[in-house]
Amino acid sequence: MTDERKPILTINGMSKRFGATQALDKVSLTLYPGEVHALLGENGAGKSTLIKIMTGIYQPDEGQMLLDGKPIEIHNTAQAQSHGIAAIYQEPMIFPDLNVAENIFISHQGRGAIVNWGKMYRDAEDILAKLGVHIDVRRQARGLTLAAQQTVEIAKALSLKTRVLIMDEPTASLSAHEVAQLFRLVRNLRDQGVAILFISHRLEEVFEISDRITIFRDGQFVSSNLASDVTTQSAIHDMVGRDMESFFVKDKAKRGELLLSVRGLTKYGKFSDISFDVYHGEVLGFAGLVGAGRTDVALALFGIEPADEGQIIFDGEPITMTSPAQATDLGIAYVPEDRREHGLVLPMSIASNITLPILKKYLGRFGLVNYTAEHETAEAYRKRLSIRTNSVDVQANDLSGGNQQKVVLSKWLNTNPRLLILDEPTRGIDVGAKAEVHSIVNQLAQDGLGIILISSDLPEVLAMSDRVLVMREGQQMGIFEGDEIDQEVIMTAAMGQAEQTRMSS
Amino acid sequence: MNTIKRYLRPEQIRELSLIVIIVIALLIFGTQINNYFSIRTFNRISASVMIITVLAVGQTLVVLTRNIDLSVGSIVGLTAYVAGDIISKNNDLDPLLLVLIAMGIGAGFGIVNGLLVAYGNIPAVIVTLGTLAIYRGLLVEISNAQSILVSNMPDWVGDLPRVNLLTIGDFELRVLVAIAIATVILFQLMLTYLPYGRRLYAIGSNPEAAHVAGLPARRIVFIAYILSGALAGLAGFMFLARFGTITVGAGVGLELQVVAAVVVGGVNIFGGTGTMIGAMLGSVLIGTLEQSLIRMNINEFWKDALLGLFILLAIVSDALILNRLRDLWTSDEMELRVDSEKTQAPVSIEHKETGHVAKP
Repeated sequence: MTDERKPILTINGMSKRFGATQALDKVSLTLYPGEVHALLGENGAGKSTLIKIMTGIYQPDEGQMLLDGKPIEIHNTAQAQSHGIAAIYQEPMIFPDLNVAENIFISHQGRGAIVNWGKMYRDAEDILAKLGVHIDVRRQARGLTLAAQQTVEIAKALSLKTRVLIMDEPTASLSAHEVAQLFRLVRNLRDQGVAILFISHRLEEVFEISDRITIFRDGQFVSSNLASDVTTQSAIHDMVGRDMESFFVKDKAKRGELLLSVRGLTKYGKFSDISFDVYHGEVLGFAGLVGAGRTDVALALFGIEPADEGQIIFDGEPITMTSPAQATDLGIAYVPEDRREHGLVLPMSIASNITLPILKKYLGRFGLVNYTAEHETAEAYRKRLSIRTNSVDVQANDLSGGNQQKVVLSKWLNTNPRLLILDEPTRGIDVGAKAEVHSIVNQLAQDGLGIILISSDLPEVLAMSDRVLVMREGQQMGIFEGDEIDQEVIMTAAMGQAEQTRMSS
Repeated sequence: MNTIKRYLRPEQIRELSLIVIIVIALLIFGTQINNYFSIRTFNRISASVMIITVLAVGQTLVVLTRNIDLSVGSIVGLTAYVAGDIISKNNDLDPLLLVLIAMGIGAGFGIVNGLLVAYGNIPAVIVTLGTLAIYRGLLVEISNAQSILVSNMPDWVGDLPRVNLLTIGDFELRVLVAIAIATVILFQLMLTYLPYGRRLYAIGSNPEAAHVAGLPARRIVFIAYILSGALAGLAGFMFLARFGTITVGAGVGLELQVVAAVVVGGVNIFGGTGTMIGAMLGSVLIGTLEQSLIRMNINEFWKDALLGLFILLAIVSDALILNRLRDLWTSDEMELRVDSEKTQAPVSIEHKETGHVAKP
C-alpha cells in the first residue's frame, strides 16, 4: 500500500567522513508519507550523522537529498524547517523561561510583526487539542515532565507543517505509560500524513510502532524492509553481522584467585541487582548499549558515585566504597570513558599526568616534586607501552588519541592496581593503536591483574573477554562464557530479547 | 491559588517586592535626612535615576541573551565628550540632531562589542572589559586631557535638565526624565510584542535549543549590543546636559551602578528572565540610594561597597527565594494529559505483531 505513494524524502548515496572514520558510506533511505520508518544500528552505525545531515548541522561529503523528487540542500536548521524537516531529541530542546505557547511558535516566521498573544494562545490550544493533549499553554515550560516537553516539541513540529519528523531515541527516558502516550501521538501524526523516522534501541518498541525498518552497520546501508518481514533475529543479524577475523584475540586466561565479588549492587535510578566475580588474570567484559548503566557500575566500584545497596568484597574483605582515594589505596584503578575530559590534564606534560594520582610518592625535600623520579617513571612507561613522543615533557594535548590513551593507562598502572577498570579504552583511536591497547590489556591480564573491560565495540568485547556480562537499562541480562560468547547472543541480550535467544539457539 | 499562579508569575512577585523595598528605603532616609520628602529631592534623585535607567534598558537587552556590556560607562563618557565638543564648535546645531549623533556614536561602539561577542565567539565579559578600557583610553587621547566647558555651549544644553514637560501643582515632570520613562515603555513593549524581543528571552533561556530551533542567534545578540551602545549614547547626551562640564573621568564606574540596577531589578544574570519595568525599579532603588547617601555625607568608597553588596544580595536572594517560588509554581497538577478517546489508533497493528515473534 505504501509503494503506490510517492516518497516525501529520498536520500541517495550519502557519505560523510570525520578524519579517519567513515561515518557514513553511500547510504540511502526513502521516507514515505504516513509511515513510521525505524532506523536501527549499533552505536557508531551512522544514525546520528545521518540525522545531523538531514537537519543541516553537518554537510555531506557526497550524495543528495530529494524532497518530492527535487534535489535540496540544507545548510542549517532553519532551512531544514522550511523544507518541513524537524527533529526531536532524547533530551527535548525547550526554552524553560518561555511559556508553552511561545515554545510551540518560537521558530515561526511571518506570524506578523507584532506578537498577538491572544491568537497565539488560541492557536497553541488548537494544535494541542488536535493532538488530544491538555497542557496549560500559558504555563512556563520550566518544570514540565520530559514527556510533556516532548509533547510540546511534537506540537511545535506539527505547527511548522512538518512533513518529515525525526525522533532520535525519544523513549529513552520515558516510563512505560509515557511511551504509550507518545506512541499514540506518533500514530496520530502518521495518520495525518507525516513521515516519521524513528530511532530507538528498544526492539520491542520498534516492532510495535514502525511500518518499515532500515538497518545501518558501520556507516553502511544493510537492509530496508517492511516491518512485517523483519524478525528480531534477522534485525540483530543485520546489525552485528561483520567478520571478526581482523580482531586481536586474547590469550587464554590462567584464572587465578578470586579478586572481587559484587553482590546485588544497586544505585537507585541507575542500575539494580548487579552481581559478578572477577578473578586475577581474567578479563570480564561489560557489553550493552550506550546508557545501559555500565559506566555507572564502574563509577560505583571506583567510589565516585557510591552504590546505594549491595555488597562489594575485594580481596576477601567486605568494603564500603566511598571515594576514589579509597579505591586507589585498595588497588583499584579506573580509566574513564572520556580521556580528554576526565582522563588527562591536557595542558600538562606526559610526565606530570602519569604521576598525578600518587604525586605524594614523588615529593622530595621541602615537599617539592622530585623531577628526576617523575621522569624516570614516565620514561619507563614510555618504553613499556611504546608511547610515541620525543620527550615525556610534551603536553598531553599534542599527542594522538592512541598515545593519549596510553598515557592514561600509564597513569593508572603507576598506582599499582590489582583491579583495572577500562571504560571504552579504544574509542576514537585508530586501528593500529587499538591493536596495541589490546596487546597491553592482554599482557596485563597475563601479569595477573583482574580487568573489567567496558566497551560498546562488540567485536572488541568478544575478542578480549574471558567472560561477558551484558547489561540493559540498568539490569544485568546475564553472564556469558565460552561458546556462549557470540555476537548475536550478546546483542540479543543487550536489546532485551533474552528469552527469544534461547528459543533460537 | 491557581488563579494567582496563572496570572502572577514569581518574577512579577519579585518586582512587586522591589517596590516595597524602595518605599521602605525612602521611609528610612526620610527619618535620617531633613526635608527629604520634597520636590527638590525628587528632582535630584530623578536626574540620577534617568541616566541609570536608560543604560539599564540597554543592559537588560544584552543580559537577557546571557551576555553583559561592561563598556557602557566609557561609552557614556566618550559620547558626552564628543557631543559636547561638537555643540561647543557648532552652537546652532539642531538639538535633535545632536542626540542622534550621540546615539549613532554609541551604536558604533556597540557594533564593535557585538561583532566581537556574537561573531568572534569571545566571552562578553572579556570583550567589554577590554573595550571599557579601550574606549576610556580613546577619550583620553581625543580630549588631550582638556575638559568640555558648559560656557562654550549654547544655553539650552545647560538649561535642559530643568525644562519641564508638564507641571501639575508642585509636581514637575522634566523632559529628560520623561524620555527615560518613554524608553522603558518603548522597550518593554518591544520585549512583549515584537518577535525580536521574545527571541532575546529564547536565546538566554536555552542557547542550544535556540540553535536547534533555527533562530539567528548571532544576529540577535549583535543587535542587542548595538541597541545597548545607542542607548549608552543617549545616556551620554543626558550626562552632558546634566553636568555641563565633561572631564576624561566622565561616567567612570557607571557600569557597576547599571549592572547593580539590572540585577536588583530581577533580570537574571544567566539570561532568559527579566523585564524593563524591573530594570527601571532597580535603577530607581540604586539611584535613590546613591543620591540619599550623598546627602547623608557617606564616603564615596562606602557607596560603591554598598552597590557591590546589593548585587550579591540580589543574586543570593534570587537563588534562595525565587527558585523556591518557581518550584512551587511548577509543582502542581498542570501536567500533561493525553485523551485516549480522541486519539484512537485507526490503523491496525496486528500484522506487525505476528511478524516479529520468533519462530522456534
